[in-house]
Amino acid sequence: MWDFLGDRYEQILFSGWQHFSLVVQCLILATVIAVIIASLVYRSKGLTSVVNSVSAIGLTIPAFALIGLLIAPLGFGVTPAVIVVAFFAALPILRNAVVGLSGIAPSIVESARGIGMSRFRTLLQVELPMAWPIILTGVRVSAQMVMGIAAVAAYSLGPGLGGFIFSGLSRSGGANSLESVLTGVIGVIVLALILDLLLVGLGRLTIPRGIRV
Amino acid sequence: MSERNASTSPAPSAASTGITGASILLDHVTKRFPGQVHPAVDGLTMEIPAGKIVMFVGPSGCGKTTTLKMINRLIEPTEGRIVVDGDDVTEMNGDTLRRGIGYVIQAGGLFPHMTVATNIGIVPKMLGWDKARIAARVDELLELVSLDPALYRDRYPKELSGGQQQRVGVARALAADPPVLLMDEPFGAVDPITRLRLQDELLNIQDELQKTIVCVTHDFDEAVKLGDWIAIFNEGAQLEQYDTPERILGDPANEFVENFIGSGAGLKQLTLTRVEEVGLADAVIGNPGERAADVLARVAEAGHGHAVIVDDRHRPIQWLSRRKLGRLDLISAVPDPKLPVVGIRATLNDALDTMLVSSAGAALVTGRRDMFKGVIDVRTVMDAITRSQTAAVLESDKAPVGLNTGMFQAQASAAEAAEAELIGAESSSAQSSSAQSSSAQPIEADGSGADARAAQ
Amino acid sequence: MSTGSLKAEAGIAGGDSAAGLPIAAAATVSRARTVWASWRGLVYQLAGIILAGLALLVWLLTADLSAIELRTLAPAALWVYTLEHLQLTLLAAVIVLVIAIPLGIALTRKPLRFLTAPVLAIANIGQAAPAVGVVVLLALWVGFSFWAATLSLVLYAVLPVLRNTMIGLDQVDARLVEAGRGMGMSATAVLFRVELPLAVPVMLSGVRTALVLLVGTAALATFINGGGLGILITTGVNLSLTTVLVTGALLVALLALLIDWVGRVVEHVARPKGL
Ligand SMILES: Nc1ncnc2c1ncn2[C@@H]1O[C@H](COP(=O)(O)OP(=O)(O)OP(=O)(O)O)[C@@H](O)[C@H]1O
Ligand SMILES: [Mg+2]
Repeated sequence: MWDFLGDRYEQILFSGWQHFSLVVQCLILATVIAVIIASLVYRSKGLTSVVNSVSAIGLTIPAFALIGLLIAPLGFGVTPAVIVVAFFAALPILRNAVVGLSGIAPSIVESARGIGMSRFRTLLQVELPMAWPIILTGVRVSAQMVMGIAAVAAYSLGPGLGGFIFSGLSRSGGANSLESVLTGVIGVIVLALILDLLLVGLGRLTIPRGIRV
Repeated sequence: MSERNASTSPAPSAASTGITGASILLDHVTKRFPGQVHPAVDGLTMEIPAGKIVMFVGPSGCGKTTTLKMINRLIEPTEGRIVVDGDDVTEMNGDTLRRGIGYVIQAGGLFPHMTVATNIGIVPKMLGWDKARIAARVDELLELVSLDPALYRDRYPKELSGGQQQRVGVARALAADPPVLLMDEPFGAVDPITRLRLQDELLNIQDELQKTIVCVTHDFDEAVKLGDWIAIFNEGAQLEQYDTPERILGDPANEFVENFIGSGAGLKQLTLTRVEEVGLADAVIGNPGERAADVLARVAEAGHGHAVIVDDRHRPIQWLSRRKLGRLDLISAVPDPKLPVVGIRATLNDALDTMLVSSAGAALVTGRRDMFKGVIDVRTVMDAITRSQTAAVLESDKAPVGLNTGMFQAQASAAEAAEAELIGAESSSAQSSSAQSSSAQPIEADGSGADARAAQ
Repeated sequence: MSTGSLKAEAGIAGGDSAAGLPIAAAATVSRARTVWASWRGLVYQLAGIILAGLALLVWLLTADLSAIELRTLAPAALWVYTLEHLQLTLLAAVIVLVIAIPLGIALTRKPLRFLTAPVLAIANIGQAAPAVGVVVLLALWVGFSFWAATLSLVLYAVLPVLRNTMIGLDQVDARLVEAGRGMGMSATAVLFRVELPLAVPVMLSGVRTALVLLVGTAALATFINGGGLGILITTGVNLSLTTVLVTGALLVALLALLIDWVGRVVEHVARPKGL
């Protein structure tokens, strides 16, 4: 095992970094998209429930099936991996953003409007900051989930640690197959822990002290 | 030991007076939670008489709940014995014990996934009652707590208001007709008006059933209103005073109790007495259509300041001063809407309240059908307070025993002597001696007395 | 004057009693409406699944398929794959329930309570393990087989059920437990009559999550010769048979949605009334 790690630490670090950056970029993209969608729909009960069912149903679709579906039109490569990871990342965030935004007491919004804030400004300066802790929780849930999904996404020859799992699988019985798979699995878990810690740190920095629990 | 058990069990005559409750004795009970330096309950010995309501009050964290839960052994005592109705229950199976003791917690503690009927029927079911008997009992209890069985039987707790849930909670605790009812801040989660109504209802139920009720509360007024006896605890369940509401208000044992009662002890005392229990003053009575001068003459003859005008059914309609009478010619039949009237069942507190806003510094008392009964004035109230204070100091020989180990050891020999025959005697003599040494008169010691005088 | 006010009162009273009937009728209508509202989502979901299934069928029937595609997608073959997939899923699910629920109960009892937090933390970390990695690791250890697949599925799905069992039991209001004990119910009676019924919604949603995870993860079983619908996806990719790939992916997705639907129906029906 140590030999395996020693021989390939550069490749491992590189794949790990790729994996991490794929996930982080997709998370950022997903957060932006989810927050925008949530901001558009949260005022309407009907749209909110539509969005909630979409995210619930989206989460039941197996990642592997979605990759298969995307390989068909897009071929192998980074694109299907990014789409799959971003898609699944967006769902929990979307759900939490809607819950967070619609959970804000109407009186607070009213008082913001009352002192002359525009609707957009209210959203930006009052509602989103107040919903941010819940949104960030959604981001953490997404991050955990998407780390594993990014590994499956390697099936489309996308980047990241999933490659170690699939290469171990294809060389099963051969030398270093177990080491390769273990590297992939443990690497993903470690990355997930690191990212979670970073997100907790982000929460400390970005959640106003007044609404921190 | 056995002799003492005998002395604390309800007297044989209890049954004939309708008491269905059982006496409880906490005997040198200590509870030390793991890792605790000072015990939560420290060597408490306390007698709870059968058929009475005993209220536990004290600052937060002083061990009221712990003491209460040791009675049904939800919390096992570290040391000491619990004796219920003469039987030592410390070693008995806890579940069996609890099936025989009603337990009410804040907001009722109803099981949300069971209907009202199922909730109430849990204990009878565990006791193996048949279905018909349980159903009949459920309806009977719902009637008892003033809920229409047909309407509420099949509802779920979330379909009830807070007050209704609390009523069902009481009904559930009474289901198997337990002799003892334990309540932990039962009315803590309802609004003040509902709380008053629930308190009245509990008193009515208690009139009928005469259970032994032990009730923890944070509301001292509630303790005064409900309690036959009030136990005031300090840190570690130190009993500071264990006595009747009258005596605690009229004669607080120490500074802690005084502070705990807070200001307005005198006013609180007023809630203990009803108007019908004090003597009312007579009044000169006039009728509409009479000449004012005639009435004035009668007022002057009686040496009064006012005349009460009553209608043909003897209901007061006006209350005229000499000055007013002097200016009138004929007495009219128009009722005065601002007449200060109190019912004869009102508390002295209510009466005082009415008097203070009336120009006469007194109030008219009416009985059944609003018939005029007499006049109550501030002096009557003051007299009543003084009398009840003296009475409270004298009438204390029935006080149940309540001691902590520290106190207990200091008076060990005397206490043992007392145990041999009547357990209450020793403590009461100690209390009355302390009462004499600190015979401050609370109504003058605080602002309420001054208020009352100013109103005169 | 007084008769006027009397009449007014009578008028109000009459109005009240007349309004009584419509109110009752409105109540039943609104009850029907809330029943429909609570089922509406489920009905739509089922309709969507059926429609998507039909669309897939029509597409397959009208598509121009090669011989090898026709062979792989023969109804009998598809049926076998689906059954294998379900078999994997359900077997793993049963094993998961048998393990996770008693374990979850045990870990929330007094003597083991101190383990609740650490176990939940480990469960959360374990959740981050990539499913495909777990499947492959298990296969390398146990050998490439149905059983290796089942075992890895169990490992993967035990966590959500265990988690939700513990959380479900944990969130039961401690005062209700105390009320139960206070009226003389034994610890076991309180567990079965108060704690478990109140934990059912959370536990069932954990079971549903686990089932959906299982359906998705069972698609990976094909990598280790464990059977199931995943073989359509890998075959499609390996032989560049787009139709097979898409059919496999859609069937897995529809199966997951269907299982999710069943889970939701069960949750809906089994939720204790009064919550
Ligand atoms: N299960 C427990 N474990 C450890 N300590 C406890 C436990 N229950 C109570 N205590 C401690 O025992 C003391 C008495 O608690 P108890 O609940 O009896 O207070 P209380 O008088 O009922 O207070 P409150 O009025 O706030 O309800 C407190 O210091 C409390 O912290
Ligand atoms: Mg308490």
